[in-house]
Amino acid sequence: MSEYPDPDEEYELMYSDELEMMREVEDHVGPNPIRKKMNLVKRSLDFSSTPSNYPVTLNQDINIPSTDQVLTNNDNNSISQDDRIPSHKRTAEELFGDIGDIDFESLQLPNKKQKTEEESDFDLISKIIEGRRLRQMLNEPSNRIQADTKSFYNVKENMSLDIPSWPFMALTNSDGNRVYVKLESEDSWNTSLDNCSNELSLHASLASAWEEARKILENKTQVTNQIDEDVIQTPINENVDLWVDKYRPNSYIDLLSEEPVNRALLHWLHLWDKIVFKKDVIVKEPQQQNKFVKRTGQFQLTNKWKGKKETEVEMDEDGRPHHKVALVCGPPGVGKTTLAHLLAKLAGYRPVELNASDERSTEAFQTALQSATLMRSVLDADKRPNCLILDEIDGAPTQTVELLVKWCMASLKEEGKKKGKSHPLRRPVIAICNDLYATSLRPLRPISLIVTVNAVSQARLSARLGVVAKREHITINPRLLTALAARAQGDVRSALHVLSFCRARGKPLNIDDIENTSFGMKDCNKTMIQALQAIFAINDKDPNAALKIIQAAGEYDRLAEGIFENYLSARVDARLHIACETTSWLRLYDLVYAWILRNQNYSLYGLLPYCLSRCHTVLASRQPFRVKFPMQAQDMFRKKAELESIVSSVWRGSVPSVLIGRKTLLLDVIPLLPYLLSPQLRSGNIQLCSENEKKSVAICAGAMCDYGLQYVQQRTPEGLYAFVLEPNVHRVAFMENIDRVKTNPTVRQAIAQEQQLEIIRRNDQMMTRNCKKTEESKTTRKEKPKPEIKLPNHLQRLQPKAVEKSTPQVHKDFFGRIVPLSQVQKQDAVSDVISLSNVFYQYREGYNNAVRRNVRMRDLL
Amino acid sequence: MSLWVDKHRPKDLLKLDFHKDQAVRLKSLVQQSDFPHLLVYGPSGAGKKTRIMCLLRELYGSGVERLRQETMHFTTPSNKKIEIMTVSSNYHIEVNPTDVGIYDRVVIMDLVKNVAQTHQIDSSGQREFKVVILNEVDDLTKDAQHALRRTMEKYVATCRLILIANSVSRVIPAIRSRCLTIRVPAPTESEVCSVLQTVCKKEGLNLPSELALKISKCSGRNVRRALLMCEACKVQQYPFKADQKVPEPDWQLFIKETASMILSEQSPKKLGEVRQKLYELIIHGVPPDIIFAGLLKELVINCDMAMKCQVASHAAMFEHRMRLGNKAIFHLEAFVAKFMAIYKKFIEDSVGDAF
Repeated sequence: MSEYPDPDEEYELMYSDELEMMREVEDHVGPNPIRKKMNLVKRSLDFSSTPSNYPVTLNQDINIPSTDQVLTNNDNNSISQDDRIPSHKRTAEELFGDIGDIDFESLQLPNKKQKTEEESDFDLISKIIEGRRLRQMLNEPSNRIQADTKSFYNVKENMSLDIPSWPFMALTNSDGNRVYVKLESEDSWNTSLDNCSNELSLHASLASAWEEARKILENKTQVTNQIDEDVIQTPINENVDLWVDKYRPNSYIDLLSEEPVNRALLHWLHLWDKIVFKKDVIVKEPQQQNKFVKRTGQFQLTNKWKGKKETEVEMDEDGRPHHKVALVCGPPGVGKTTLAHLLAKLAGYRPVELNASDERSTEAFQTALQSATLMRSVLDADKRPNCLILDEIDGAPTQTVELLVKWCMASLKEEGKKKGKSHPLRRPVIAICNDLYATSLRPLRPISLIVTVNAVSQARLSARLGVVAKREHITINPRLLTALAARAQGDVRSALHVLSFCRARGKPLNIDDIENTSFGMKDCNKTMIQALQAIFAINDKDPNAALKIIQAAGEYDRLAEGIFENYLSARVDARLHIACETTSWLRLYDLVYAWILRNQNYSLYGLLPYCLSRCHTVLASRQPFRVKFPMQAQDMFRKKAELESIVSSVWRGSVPSVLIGRKTLLLDVIPLLPYLLSPQLRSGNIQLCSENEKKSVAICAGAMCDYGLQYVQQRTPEGLYAFVLEPNVHRVAFMENIDRVKTNPTVRQAIAQEQQLEIIRRNDQMMTRNCKKTEESKTTRKEKPKPEIKLPNHLQRLQPKAVEKSTPQVHKDFFGRIVPLSQVQKQDAVSDVISLSNVFYQYREGYNNAVRRNVRMRDLL
Repeated sequence: MSLWVDKHRPKDLLKLDFHKDQAVRLKSLVQQSDFPHLLVYGPSGAGKKTRIMCLLRELYGSGVERLRQETMHFTTPSNKKIEIMTVSSNYHIEVNPTDVGIYDRVVIMDLVKNVAQTHQIDSSGQREFKVVILNEVDDLTKDAQHALRRTMEKYVATCRLILIANSVSRVIPAIRSRCLTIRVPAPTESEVCSVLQTVCKKEGLNLPSELALKISKCSGRNVRRALLMCEACKVQQYPFKADQKVPEPDWQLFIKETASMILSEQSPKKLGEVRQKLYELIIHGVPPDIIFAGLLKELVINCDMAMKCQVASHAAMFEHRMRLGNKAIFHLEAFVAKFMAIYKKFIEDSVGDAF
């Protein structure tokens, strides 16, 4: 695109698709007002057909001699003035003549299908007209006048089917009818021309043009409306009543969900009969149920139901069912809500629904629960007890669910105790959810009857779609219905929506529409396990299915791990070529993924599924293969972190002087530490050991201090106390058998004691070093003998604390003058009468140190 | 009383047991007033750290031995708080930036800046620069290495860097050229033996030379490991016997075991068992490159020359890819699978030739 196209080309380029579209639209829609009009023009030229219900359109200016100026036009098209070739396809250009002269930058070509955009149509037309008018005025003013005169030409006056009184010319049209056209003298024509020219001002012509343009549009919209009404009978009806509602099942037979599911829920509802309707519940024989289960072969209820068969305790002591709440779960659109409503009605209840659109705070929920389930609120208009249906409960806050659980757990007997405080549940409550394992539902799950509604089977769904199509008078191929049902994946609602959408398009469906279009596409999310299974199985129908499923599943990392853990057993691989091939793809995956993570550049992310799908081509086989969920990698990660924490605690605990790199610590020191820390002693008692043994224990203790290890007493499960190394380097040092090098418990104890001593010794050393440092700096005196410090702690004796010699206190009197010491002492001695005697007694209650004696400094010195 | 490794670590350059001429050269280097940044590299257990500590002692006196352990805190640009343990004296600070993984750049920039910008309080009697020791420089990210090259030049007046690495191949050339590289090769087996003998003599023990040789062989010329092994031997049994069992690090034995498993049978089932072993090694924190090296070393013993080349080249390739990737186990297992395929083909061919 080095050079710009010239304006014409540019226009073509810009509007080429619109033009194309318009052509197509005209092709398809068919009855287009403009085209009809053009047909009429054609007719007026050759008189081949009678003017039928249209206003009279024949208009031949036989009065005008100068034929070059004659314009054969119908009455309401004054705009077109160029010679037209009546063609089948009409574009905007042909409609409005050459419109290249008009500035289209700010305009858009009218889209004839859009009825609502009349405004823009008007705009466009007026602009075109205006633009053209200006141009005409500049170029050929005479032409303009001529063109405009025609609007003053009265058709009714000039033509007749009967023989008129005025001079005429008889013409015969193709039907053989005669038409009489008025002959006008040249004078009268001229006068009429003059009349026109008087009124011909720019304003008037514009107004008329505007008026006509509007008429055209009005006609057009009328006609299109007619067309719409012809082709689609009741579009408004559809808006009022969705098919989903229209064809909602009204009886038990109509339900699309599986029979056992329906029956389970209905059975549960009937269990409430005793307390709600005060009549006994007929409990079926369990054997029958068993038979039924076998017959259907697809009894997919949870174990709650199965367990009940054994215990046969369906009712609690209050006569209420064991499970107070039925929890209906299943994917969206399978008819859970419908099922709940219908069954509640069938069981004689009035369903009261509370769903996500209602407020679900605990307060609101409580009031709703009370109003819905309490006995006293039963008697309303239709005298039926309520059945509360809590729709979309998995979105409710946890507190709300907990409230519901509390409500359900309250028994009738408790109510007797605390009067009116809490009202136990007396009405069935059906909770509906999509995700059974939502965290908020955790308290509800154990107390509720879980009814799983599975996706509707394809056959049933397509049959139902057929019924609907038949009732809506849609002729549709059963194969298409099957495809539609398959596409919906058991979602009745979406299938019906798609069907009604197809209907609204007004075009017959074909298989491509269903297979390829984007409408009605369900979220095709796949779980990782599904993807793994797809990888390990050959899919004959679609070789690219595995790739699609991988892409849908996401979680490529887990998938890669899954492949890695499963590939060895997937196929017979005696020469390990498959293993090599698979690992090469997995390695590529790892490289790409690591690159992505390192550079934070996700442009290669799209390649990851290809790496995995290549593994599919290598590994897929026909034999059924049970895929294991990938656990090893996570397991490894967890264990590794655990051991790493041990290493790092050793590393952090070690003394700076022995501190080495973490890697060397891990590879060199720790693997040998257990050997080093297990000295061989003849006895546990360290006093009885030889000098060498003592030394080895000392080394051991020193090493443990260096590396921050400790023997900690721990209580074993057997109730014994054992010394355990903390942090446990044995776990890091040894691969499989941790206790390969095991020390005697007594030896451990000895080491532990020795280590305590060693710690004390080291602290002592540290202290003395500090002391030494201070002493050195002060350079006062060096009197502490070194061997004394080396003495082990347990051998040291408690020395009395040396009393520091304090400088004699200088006494000052009130004014700050120094009072001589002797005077002070004398004063003290004189003043204190008690202290005159050497010994005195004082009784102090509760103390035994009653004897006090004055000890003077000089006595001590 | 601490372990022999720590107890008998030489503290003076001239008292080193091997590479003595190098020690002399280092001493003369230090005795001049100035010395450049150093990049000390060599295999683990060759005495890099010992030499550096001796060097520092030569520079600053015994004050460098008064070490303290500190935890420093840094904040990354993304406001993540990281902490790293440092060992420092008044004259130097030692840090292992790879402990913080990908944030090592922040550590290097902040730490070196901090150290470099604080001048010595009393520069009269001492050198006017501090020393920053960075461990495991070859495992630094490229970002960190690039951050280092500018800092090295900028703060050369106030601080010297001593970089420690196992191999310079992963240190960018820009840093290599800014440093005086000092290679500390692993001691020969006889040198290891003599070290063991001197230590034992100091401890008052009698070490048979056969056992010393055995230990030095087992240690793979790693003095630290040799000393630890020797002490472990002593703890297990004293007086020494020449044919005494030398305790080895368990992971080494485990790798050997794995290799023998691979050689015993080549089938997907065996591969699955090998995988468990590999997992176990990874769990215990053995670096995957060491697993690679260990496996290769054990596996090629049983290969003829042509196969050796093939296997070694595959191992190199897989190891390289593993460094680029994240999941070491994929690459390890891929290598094992490849080896099994090659080995099986070789066995089948040779059996076919026999008939």
